[in-house]
Amino acid sequence: MKLTEIIEKEIIQLSLAVQTKEECIARMTEQMVKAGAISNKEAFMQTVLEREQKGTTGVGFEVAIPHGKSAGVARPALGFAKLAHPIDWQSLDEEPVSMVFLIAVPAEQAGNEHLRILAAIARKLMHEEYRNQLREAGSPEDVMRVLETL
Amino acid sequence: MKRILAVTACPTGIAHTYMAAEGLKKAAEEKNIAFKVETRGAVGVENGLTEEDIAGAHAIIIAADTDADEGRFAGKPVVKASVGEAIKNPGKLLEEALNKKPATRDYIAEAVKTKAERSAQRVGIYKHLMNGVSYMIPLVAGGGLIIAISFIFGIEAFKEEGTLAAALMDIGGGAAFALMVPVLAGFIAFSIAEKPGLAPGLVGGMLASQIGAGFLGGILAGFIAGYVAKGLKDAIKLPKNLEGLKPVLIIPFFSILATGLLMIYVVGGPVKVVMDAMTKWLTGLSGANAVVLGLILGAMMAFDMGGPVNKAAYTFGVGLLGSSIFGPMAAVMAAGMTPPLGLWLATVLAPKKYSIEEREAGKAAAALGISFITEGAIPFAAADPLRVIPAIMTGSAVTGALSMLFGATLRAPHGGIFVLPIPHAVGNLGLYIVAIIVGTVVTALLVNLLKRNPVTNGQTVNNE
Repeated sequence: MKLTEIIEKEIIQLSLAVQTKEECIARMTEQMVKAGAISNKEAFMQTVLEREQKGTTGVGFEVAIPHGKSAGVARPALGFAKLAHPIDWQSLDEEPVSMVFLIAVPAEQAGNEHLRILAAIARKLMHEEYRNQLREAGSPEDVMRVLETL
Repeated sequence: MKRILAVTACPTGIAHTYMAAEGLKKAAEEKNIAFKVETRGAVGVENGLTEEDIAGAHAIIIAADTDADEGRFAGKPVVKASVGEAIKNPGKLLEEALNKKPATRDYIAEAVKTKAERSAQRVGIYKHLMNGVSYMIPLVAGGGLIIAISFIFGIEAFKEEGTLAAALMDIGGGAAFALMVPVLAGFIAFSIAEKPGLAPGLVGGMLASQIGAGFLGGILAGFIAGYVAKGLKDAIKLPKNLEGLKPVLIIPFFSILATGLLMIYVVGGPVKVVMDAMTKWLTGLSGANAVVLGLILGAMMAFDMGGPVNKAAYTFGVGLLGSSIFGPMAAVMAAGMTPPLGLWLATVLAPKKYSIEEREAGKAAAALGISFITEGAIPFAAADPLRVIPAIMTGSAVTGALSMLFGATLRAPHGGIFVLPIPHAVGNLGLYIVAIIVGTVVTALLVNLLKRNPVTNGQTVNNE
């Protein structure tokens, strides 16, 4: 499985205007429904919000990584959004969030290569240079290019 | 250099687990700390920590919001945090881990645990035999000491009927010792065939006793009875309405009959010949032959410190008590005490050759040694087997040989130094103590001679 199989231009948004994290998750989920990655929007959103309840996915450095493993997911997908205005995500470092990765993982999926790709991206996000490259990306193509440098 | 380990785990295992791992790894690289992190995510356990990793670690960071299999870190300093903390402030967790003091290990508890684990791991014939031996030992211990007490009134005092000395001899010798071989056989058979094995085992053991086939006959009786009973249990198939008769009538009848006939007509005679010859040889044993037997028994006791070879020598010593041969038992116990005692002395004589942890283990070894728990030597032997095992085997062989040479005897199957003050439990007490001391000193000097690794800052320098 290649990275391009889980992220595509349709689910990359470069200036998403939202007020709350719930709204942000809803808007990003809608994009993924349109792209055909999510079959049951309510079921998926419920899992994602439940995960947020257990502990924030605002990991600091203005990044949040809401995620859910749900039967409402048709295929593994990674949505990305840069926010027009930073919003509160109860982040670990208490700073507002400006970049969001929404991770959708099907409940049943043969193999775990998609999990390895997501794990690799999660690891990359801990490095400042990588985050800066994403921040500076000016087009969906740029974002894809940065993400591909695994 | 202090090595730090970490485990990261989060509820879904998709992202936080890996971010925390990466954060810790990055911080460790920046601080130049030797580091390894295990991730427990949705993919499963990756880069898993091995037992060697854990044993060699200074401290372990557990950054987990879910199960991280913490049991394996028992006895190690642990820093616990949420995954979030590891992402947010990995450097602080690493500092905390570095500043942890090495946990003080409870070596006595560990030795006792090793003993228990080894019993649980025993399999097959060895397991059945040790089951019998373990049920026999209380009879030997209680009976042996009660006989020893009867001697306080004079070695021949029990021959006077109606006296306390005679009563004590009846209890210890007439009853407890008489039950030794039957119980040995019974519980070997019980271990093989469970409940149906006990009755034919006890009977076979009793016959071995009566024939004069001693503990060797008892061991054979136990195995015969056990496998006969097990075979009958598995082979006999009855209609449902008669099934109830099987355990109360059919198996007891046929298993006791078969075991009994085999003991009397087949096994008993030849084993009695062997037993008589052995008893005669051991009774007349002196000088060079006694020394050789002592050397062998002693080396066996130290070879695997409570393992099968050690138990073979021990069973030999205990079994002979039933035939009124007390010398090998003395040699076996003395040789089982010197490995931990010698290692303790080694840490006292040359503290610089040992880490702080090893010196602590030395104190525990002393306590275990005086109680005849040979397993007390295991922490040292496990850390450096090629130097430690030859040294403790030599010391134990010397002690065993001296004990035999001095004609020391022991009527109890256990007890360490605590059995020494009991009157008449030990024969030739003064020289017996000399034998133990000499072996202890030989062990200590040899270990320190073989040990080359100097120790600095509480850590062993590996110069090989």
